[in-house]
Amino acid sequence: MSRSYTIASESSVIVYFGSTIDPLISQEVQKAYQALKSEAYEGFYEIIPSYASLMVSYDVMRFDFDAVCEIIETCIHHAEAITMDEPKIVTIPVYYGLEVGLDLELLSEEKNLSVEEIIALHTKELYSVYAIGFAPGFAYLGEIDERLATSRLASPRKAVPKGSVAIADRQSAVYPTQSPGGWKVLGRTPIAMFDASYDGLSLLHVGDHVRYEAISKEEFLRLGGAL
Amino acid sequence: MNGFIVENGGVQSSIQDAGRRGFSDIGLTQSGAMDELAFGYANFLVGNAFNTATIEIALGGASFRAKSEMCIAICGANMQPTCNGHSIALWQTYQLRRGDVIAFGFANEGQFAYIAVAGGFLTPYVYGSYSTSLKEGLGGLEGRKLKSGDLLSTLGARCPVDRRKLERKFIPKYPETITLRVVKGYQEAMFDEKSHETFFNSAYTFKGEGDRMGYRLSGEKVVPSATGILSEPICYGAIQVPSHGEPIVLLKERQTIGGYPKIGSVIAVDCFKLAQLKAGGKVKFKEVSLSEAQRATKAFYTFFKEQEA
Repeated sequence: MSRSYTIASESSVIVYFGSTIDPLISQEVQKAYQALKSEAYEGFYEIIPSYASLMVSYDVMRFDFDAVCEIIETCIHHAEAITMDEPKIVTIPVYYGLEVGLDLELLSEEKNLSVEEIIALHTKELYSVYAIGFAPGFAYLGEIDERLATSRLASPRKAVPKGSVAIADRQSAVYPTQSPGGWKVLGRTPIAMFDASYDGLSLLHVGDHVRYEAISKEEFLRLGGAL
Repeated sequence: MNGFIVENGGVQSSIQDAGRRGFSDIGLTQSGAMDELAFGYANFLVGNAFNTATIEIALGGASFRAKSEMCIAICGANMQPTCNGHSIALWQTYQLRRGDVIAFGFANEGQFAYIAVAGGFLTPYVYGSYSTSLKEGLGGLEGRKLKSGDLLSTLGARCPVDRRKLERKFIPKYPETITLRVVKGYQEAMFDEKSHETFFNSAYTFKGEGDRMGYRLSGEKVVPSATGILSEPICYGAIQVPSHGEPIVLLKERQTIGGYPKIGSVIAVDCFKLAQLKAGGKVKFKEVSLSEAQRATKAFYTFFKEQEA
């Protein structure tokens, strides 16, 4: 696949692998990200992956643009010959109760699906982590079943509760902390998405696979969930 | 205890060093001093390494009581600082005695002032930095702005010399109109020729719509050929243009990824100038080559590196 190197700033280069949400393109990005991360080049301050691009912020005292592009290209080229590790599969328990699934009824009406059908559609998929951003540990997961694809709320909430499991367009995410947001909320997880005690701080990393698992209210509370 | 007790946190004061690195891939913002020039001078004056934690005071209104003898320097916005009611100058060191109260009015020039103390502040080191990320609630003092009663401990180190003053020619000015150098990049091709011309030939006004995350500028609209793009990583200084057509320059507490088209980026050393622009100030953009931009950045950090040596 061809890549293009573009200037982001005087100390950042962005590499484009494509321009669409596509599992194959995403895999290319993940491969490059893993390879660059494990090489840990001194003077590469940030290596940030997203859906179809990856940005490297570098020390201008050490490199110029061409040198950085060459290092990245060589590193990615070598990585292409390597089989990627099997993705880590993370299961996220979710309580899909109406008291925490703030938009379940709204979505049920909008999509003409029962709440049970919504839960079934949301839990059947194995999702990929395409990107992390917006807030620490906020992972963009794709793609949800077409039948659930939905717009954002017309008026975003000022405070989406911590642990809320939500959807927008064909994506799903968990809010790591209470924050404003306009995604439609289906349920809540009792587990932390971002925690200093985690190796790597964030529960999820780009390239991981995720499955949601429906749990009962009792289980949710037992696992430390708060209503 | 050596250090300061916060008497009044003012509008928004927080602990900041040069920022957090290496965690953007899991969504942590860079954070750090909004104006690294004033920040750097403050540390230089008291004999600290460039990347040492300081107090960043936004707009003013803060006051601090010294719990011990210490050596400080105040640089940046002029908030008419006083020591026990007597006015004191910026851009030089002061030896404080136990009980001295440093108080700030409100900025008449610039937006951010920095207090450096010899030896630095001993606040927690979180994810590779002392910086406070207010949006994320992490770093600094419990991830929040300073409030009355907070204790800020220091080593109680002495200044390298009794009094050190920044040479006049080095003291930055904070004019009402500034020119920001821009490196074109990202989605520059999504802006037509006329938009490029408009962008680089008109004056934009900063109406005060902004915070540590970024500044929105008002003026002639430049309209990208699409309202959104697939979300991608955002660097320091990136100029994003949402469909309203007015540029937003993203600064230290920017989001790590986003989906608005970007025409390019303001070079780092000019982002520091923009940070100090007061509401009502005017901005002009000037295109520079990548090599020219890198020279400016290199010169900046080389200067401070040499002071450390």
